[in-house]
Parts: sequence; structure tokens; C-alpha cells
Amino acid sequence: MRKSALAASCALLGAAAADARPVSYEGGWTVIGESDRESTALLTHYTPHHEWSLGYRTEWMRERDILFNGVQATHLVKRWFAPDSQGNLYAYAGAGVAEGIDDTPMDAEAAGFLGLMADWETRRWFVSYEARLSDMGEGGDAMQAARVGVAPYVGDFGDLHTWLMLEVDQRPERDEPVTVTPLVRFFKGPVLLELGYTPADDEPFASLIYRF
Amino acid sequence: MIRIFITASASALAIAIAGLSAAEAQHAGHQAGHEGDEHAHEGETLAPTLHADIEAALREGGSLVVAEVNGMVCDFCATAMTKTFGRRDEVGAVHVDLDTKTLQLVIREGRTLDDAAIADLVTRSGYETVAIRRGTGA
Repeated sequence: MRKSALAASCALLGAAAADARPVSYEGGWTVIGESDRESTALLTHYTPHHEWSLGYRTEWMRERDILFNGVQATHLVKRWFAPDSQGNLYAYAGAGVAEGIDDTPMDAEAAGFLGLMADWETRRWFVSYEARLSDMGEGGDAMQAARVGVAPYVGDFGDLHTWLMLEVDQRPERDEPVTVTPLVRFFKGPVLLELGYTPADDEPFASLIYRF
Repeated sequence: MIRIFITASASALAIAIAGLSAAEAQHAGHQAGHEGDEHAHEGETLAPTLHADIEAALREGGSLVVAEVNGMVCDFCATAMTKTFGRRDEVGAVHVDLDTKTLQLVIREGRTLDDAAIADLVTRSGYETVAIRRGTGA
């Protein structure tokens, strides 16, 4: 019951594959929640140095009813600066424990993941790519995703920013290995909200980031 | 399957990194004329206009510092700057103008924050200082 409640809480909060801006300013905290067609996760991280963040991650693989809890470290490998754009390359890794929930016959097992993310954006355009390898106690798994986005209008700091985005992901082990997810991003001050839908799997997509 | 996936991932990542480097080269030093729109188009640099909070702090006797910063493209960037500089006792007011790509600071009367310290704080925020100007002509 406790595990189910934790997984449900995770789903309600939204939660997180490491996503937009996984490293903050020094001394900054970030809460990232994301729910996609595969899992629902929550990552809370702290940035002790502008090239590193450390956090705690809870992820619920919904179809398999496996719950992961562990720590995650993210490194900003390289940031490309220009007057009107910014590009980033991140590497991340996590380690913890995965176990079955809701009568899933799986004892607590050592689990972990590692991945790479790259993004480039201006105030008008956005592109990103992410690849992740994981072992959630049941053997290797993999995913990769790419995203493009455009802002129909350009606002200044504090305005409500709106982005229209399209994400393509590949998960070789799934019945539908490749899917497309259109989504809308709303961004204002320290809050970023994304809402979308994956038609091929009939699954909603939601992401919420709060930085403080 | 995993081997194919890794190969495809490495190829995609290489393309992404090549794109990032090309974009950096394309944007470096690129400036164009402004046509009077409310917001800057990509590549444009507008003359900074002072935010109301900055003007109010200046009326109280502070001194103006304007820093040109590379890479500020979203509200998270601006939030990082305002949080980092807002914590400093020397800073009476802080504002980020994404259109002009500037960080505007008012240093409290009788306090100092030198260029090296400002550049270091910009770096700790995750960004890059291009130039720092001081005084009413900033």
C-alpha cells in the first residue's frame, strides 16, 4: 500500500527523465516532474557547482509496475555560448534500488542508468536529443528521443512564453518502438509546464519544472 | 538490439554536437539593425533601457553597472542571474533584459563589486560575460 501510494504521488506530481536544464545556478534547487508513455518520475536536485547537480530520483515504470529510488548526478560537459543562443551537452548517471509494486513479483534489486543529453536553443527555436541506457533490475533497456520546438512569439523575462514542440522517441523493447508526441510548453519565471499526447500509445505527456 | 541502439545514438549525438558548434560560429559577433519592434529579433542588440526597479535604486544613490552576457535565452537564465546577484549585500537592485542581453545592477552607495567579482558571479550562474560598463553612460 505504501509503495502504491508513493507511485501514485509520483504520478500526481509528474516526474522525470532528466530534462530541460538539469544543472542550475550555484546554490539553486530544481524539482522536475515528468510522465511520459513509459514512466512517471520525480527528480529533485541541488546545484553545488555550475557544472554539476546532485539529486534524488523516484521513477515508476508503469507497465511493469517497478519503482526505482536512487541518487542521480548530472554533469554539464560543455556549454556553447553565443549572444542569441545557448547549447549544452550533459552526461548523467544514477544508482539505486528497484522493486516490484502492486503484487509484481520482484524483490529489491540494484538498479541504475546513464545517459547523454544535448540541446541548443534561441528565444525562437529549440532542438534537443537524449539517449539513456538503464537496468531497472530486469536487464538492459534503452531509449532515445529528439525534440524540435518553435516559439510563435518572443517574450521578455517574466512574460508567459509558449512553445510548440514535437518529440520523437525510440524504445526498442516496446510494442510501439517509435512514437511521436506533439506538446505545448508554457514557461514563466521559475516554472515550466509541458502538456502533450502520444497517439500511438494513447498516453498523455506532462512535465513540470520549478526552479528556486 | 542494444548495439544497434548505441550506434544510432552515437551518430545522432555527433550530428547534434556538430550543429551546436556550427550554430555558435554563426551567431558569434552577429548583429543586425533594430526596426523598432518591442522585442529584439535573433541577432539584434538593442540599446538597454533601465527597468523601473533599477531607476528606483539609482534614485536612492546607488551606482549603475550593465553587463553584456552571452547565452541568456530564457526565463531560467534570467532567474539564475537575479537569484545569484540578489543574494549579494552589495546589490541594491538587479534586472535581466533578454532583448538587450544585459544584466543591469545597482551597487549600493558606499559598497563595491568589481568587474572580476561580477564576471565570477555570472559564471557561477552558468553564463559568460562579454563586457561590463559602469556609470550613467552604461
